[in-house]
Amino acid sequence: MRFGRTHPVALTLIVIAAVLMMVPLFWVLALSFKANAALMADTNSVFSLPYTLANYRTLFGDGQVFRWIMNSLIVSLGMTAGVLILSSLAGYGFARLDFPGRSVLFVIVLLGLAVPEQAVIIARHQMLSLVSMHNTYGALILPGLSAPFGVFLMTQYFRAIPRDIDEAALLDGASRFKIFWKVLLPLTIPAQATLGIFTFLSAWNDYWWPLISATNKQMFTLTVGIASTQMNFAQTEGLGFLMAQAVLAGLPILIVYLFFQKYIVQAVAGAAGR
Amino acid sequence: MSGVVLDGVSKRYGAVTVIDRLSLTIAAGEFVVFLGPSGCGKSTLLRMIAGLETVDGGEIRIGARRVDHLAPGARGVAMVFQQYALYPHMSVRENMAFGLRNAHVPADEIDRRVAAAADALEIMPLLDRKSTQLSGGQQQRVAIARAIVKQPDLFLLDEPLSNLDAALRMRTRLEIAQLHQRLGTTMIFVTHDQVEAMTLADRIVVLNQGGIEQVGSPMDIYLTPRTEFVASFVGSPKINLLPVTVEAAGEMTRVRLANGAIIDTAVAAADLPAGAMTLGLRPECIRPAALDGAPLAARVQVVERLGERTLLHVVLDDGTPIVAEDSGLSAVRPGDRIGLAVQPERAHLFDADGLGHHPAQRG
Ligand SMILES: Nc1ncnc2c1ncn2[C@@H]1O[C@H](COP(=O)(O)OP(=O)(O)OP(=O)(O)O)[C@@H](O)[C@H]1O
Ligand SMILES: [Mg+2]
Repeated sequence: MRFGRTHPVALTLIVIAAVLMMVPLFWVLALSFKANAALMADTNSVFSLPYTLANYRTLFGDGQVFRWIMNSLIVSLGMTAGVLILSSLAGYGFARLDFPGRSVLFVIVLLGLAVPEQAVIIARHQMLSLVSMHNTYGALILPGLSAPFGVFLMTQYFRAIPRDIDEAALLDGASRFKIFWKVLLPLTIPAQATLGIFTFLSAWNDYWWPLISATNKQMFTLTVGIASTQMNFAQTEGLGFLMAQAVLAGLPILIVYLFFQKYIVQAVAGAAGR
Repeated sequence: MSGVVLDGVSKRYGAVTVIDRLSLTIAAGEFVVFLGPSGCGKSTLLRMIAGLETVDGGEIRIGARRVDHLAPGARGVAMVFQQYALYPHMSVRENMAFGLRNAHVPADEIDRRVAAAADALEIMPLLDRKSTQLSGGQQQRVAIARAIVKQPDLFLLDEPLSNLDAALRMRTRLEIAQLHQRLGTTMIFVTHDQVEAMTLADRIVVLNQGGIEQVGSPMDIYLTPRTEFVASFVGSPKINLLPVTVEAAGEMTRVRLANGAIIDTAVAAADLPAGAMTLGLRPECIRPAALDGAPLAARVQVVERLGERTLLHVVLDDGTPIVAEDSGLSAVRPGDRIGLAVQPERAHLFDADGLGHHPAQRG
């Protein structure tokens, strides 16, 4: 869709809304450059010199942060790759293969959508204890790979591709795998992007499961690690430091957004406009 | 180029038999059209030949090879789909090359074939476009080109023209006919449009409810329809069908309409079974005539001027509607009462089983 020139009133409203959204972000950013002590005295000091990198220095000081960023990246990327691969294969299977029990299985997958993490977390914890997997990447990644939403999304996406296309490829002498890989999968890229971003961001932001599973500081993800460095009374005595942590934790999301803006907008517009 | 033999093929979906022990021989280089109403199994039959549907009984041979157990890609056939089924993420060139790459044709040979086919279908300027950036007509040409580059033994086309507008449809129809003449490859073309069938086919196979109703050249089908179904399906406007009783039989068969009117037909009486009959008269063999002496009298309801001819929609005295034909400059007007003359040598009789009886064809 393309609209003509945006109406001035609409434009003004959008600008106001955008500014309102950005003020807190700038507030966080500005606070992170102030000394804790100065903020404790008066948060209005943020409007005047001096500014300092002390909070960031403390944050990076013990070197643990890099380890946690690494962990978060490994967990998030691993989970994203796993979810994309499994959801695509399962989606293709549900959409294109005829096998006994297909519809029952699909309903079971859909039921998975209705089960909240809270309901299974104790069982999950015990299960991983049983196989002594806590404090490994496996423990952090594997539970996230059961992604009913991904399977559902990809199934719907594969179903929407006309079967004629598979059949044309079949007549062109392509094997089943080649049809999946060369013909159908490229057509699902928008869905892959949506699912990938969605999975990456939720894995990156996840706090609860890594908090429960990873007890060894070396295996903390960024969210858990940052929280662990917070001292008591952080809200008052360590405000600048707290804000620096928030900036660091939010940065990857900003980067992901900048890179995949097009797909995020498509995904949101697609959900609204179809 | 290969012939095709269907030997007693059947297709069932659960308890429903869609194709019932159908046999047909198609000669190498022939252009055969499967014609029939919606749901009669045309597509199913075509897809069985292509290998996209399994065969529940019988044999399919292409050339000397039995193919019904081969994968679609191994049968040496190319298919043009109704919705074109181009690969949306590939350029036109890649669409055409995909099948050749799978068959491990050398790259320079692929380039040569793609160029030749693109040239023939005048899609050279489109080669590097994505197939989603093409109009319907262009997509259609690409779909045909994609079939041609494979140099198949057999072309299968499933209603390839049905998504085009009228002008484009006529043009593409002509191009497909020319393509067949140039390539000489065996073609099977599915349609429910009898004009397409008449204009393209060497032979038409009229299908009905999963079986063959009649096989013959377009004029065979038109002039000597084997059954009442064929007669009413082929021909536009539709043939007039009137219940009659046989009045007198001899060299000519004389029949009586429900309203008592007497009509002479050139159908030889010798091979007519007894009983009630249906008289089949195509509009072009019913002409207006002077009221006195004409076998039928009717009132004109609608005059449809088509330019080179005029269709007269009339009703007989007992209310039976009939379509007759007059010259382009017809003076007949709605509301007129006119006589109708019938050409006896173009009249058909159908017996109670729906089988047709026709006047002997003269050279
Ligand atoms: N997958 C299927 N399951 C059950 N019945 C089917 C299936 N595919 C087709 N049929 C039935 O088989 C019959 C023939 O279908 P087919 O598609 O060959 O018809 P067609 O002659 O091509 O009709 P059209 O002109 O509408 O394309 C139809 O009655 C249809 O309902
Ligand atoms: Mg069909």
